[in-house]
Amino acid sequence: MSSLIEKHIVTLLAEKDDKAISLLYEHYGDTLYGVAYKVVKDDDLAQDILQESFIKIWKKADTYDVSKAKLFTWLFRITRNTAIDKLRSINNKMDKEVQIDVSDVYKVGVEGIRPDVLDMQDNLEKIELKYQIVLEALFFQGMTQQEASEELDIPLGTIKSRLKIGLRELGKLYKVSTTLLLLINILP
Amino acid sequence: MKEKIQLFLDSDILEKYLIGDANKEESSKAERYIAMYPEVRKAYSELQDNLEAFAKLYARKTPEGLKEIILHSAKKQKSSTIRLWRYAVAASVVILLFAGSSFFFWNQNQSLQKENDFVNTKIKYLEENMKNQLEDVRNQFIVLNNPDTKKYSVKGKREGKELKAVAYINPVKKLSYINVSNVPQLPENKCFQMWAEVNGELVNLGVIKQLDDKDKLLAIPYADNAIGYITVEPEGGNTSPSVQNIVANIMY
Repeated sequence: MSSLIEKHIVTLLAEKDDKAISLLYEHYGDTLYGVAYKVVKDDDLAQDILQESFIKIWKKADTYDVSKAKLFTWLFRITRNTAIDKLRSINNKMDKEVQIDVSDVYKVGVEGIRPDVLDMQDNLEKIELKYQIVLEALFFQGMTQQEASEELDIPLGTIKSRLKIGLRELGKLYKVSTTLLLLINILP
Repeated sequence: MKEKIQLFLDSDILEKYLIGDANKEESSKAERYIAMYPEVRKAYSELQDNLEAFAKLYARKTPEGLKEIILHSAKKQKSSTIRLWRYAVAASVVILLFAGSSFFFWNQNQSLQKENDFVNTKIKYLEENMKNQLEDVRNQFIVLNNPDTKKYSVKGKREGKELKAVAYINPVKKLSYINVSNVPQLPENKCFQMWAEVNGELVNLGVIKQLDDKDKLLAIPYADNAIGYITVEPEGGNTSPSVQNIVANIMY
């Protein structure tokens, strides 16, 4: 994402210009949809979440503060929270109805992660699975570090360090892809 | 200082803040550190880039048609916000108008009520006054028309030489009136005052004013074989008559 487009979108958002939504969807739609899907693991629900998130983004457009977060961080927080809220409300409803066993909602063990990992881009394979699991649990499952520690049966300190290292590993990834992107852009 | 920053970076507050999981206290701490320390700012910036990179790895093709649905609902949201805003403005105007007119009517009601009270008091006063006057006129009529009524012409002396007055006395009805038809000019600081001797006491009947209606009959207290006096007194009247200044006396 070039920062120029980002700036342009931010300006449009501040002006409440309809074009902002269209541009946001084009540039971030797939990623945010992926975030929503990753949380709820259901396409229909993920679509609802994406729609709700975009409405929220549109409504809150004038509260976005560029000095506090990059545009994507802001979009991610809204989408993630919308998805986690949705998941929790569904879980609550299910708990009340006592019909379906939902114990697998937080299951992010190896079995849970495998099919998704296979779908992912090659890059993801460069991150060790143990980091992926922790990052996913914290980013997409809405778990606190304490919950992740209990769910994954990993000590809290290890969760903390894996989160930090995992994010650093991602940094490498990001740098590689940025360099590649730059090279592609520079080449005629 | 460095230790403090390192301690903060070692904690997971920045990561929680990144994904929006930090509580209020942690958020404000994170924002404070980001604003104050370049190291933290750099770390936060990197974390944000990493998060974007990480999330992009999970990107999933959005279904056909979803974009249109989202754009449509965003637009609807916008127009409904505008509509809501318009309704709010309209409602405010209506409320203001209502408040304004309510105040106007209330105000009007208040002043009408005051006016009503005033008019009522005035009517009561007039009624009272009219009754008194009617009573007075009736008494005058009785006195003047009664065959037992005697008419006395009062003539003054000294300063009161020009004074002309007629007294009507009715011993049967025990009513007496006096009509002063001409009051002579007196120095500015002097006036005529009328008295009546009733049961051995002198009763003040008041100052005779120049401008008084010449045909007006003035009721005076009745007593058998009473004597009325007119004296010259300092302007405004006196509390007791100055005997040396008697200008007329009326015997009845």
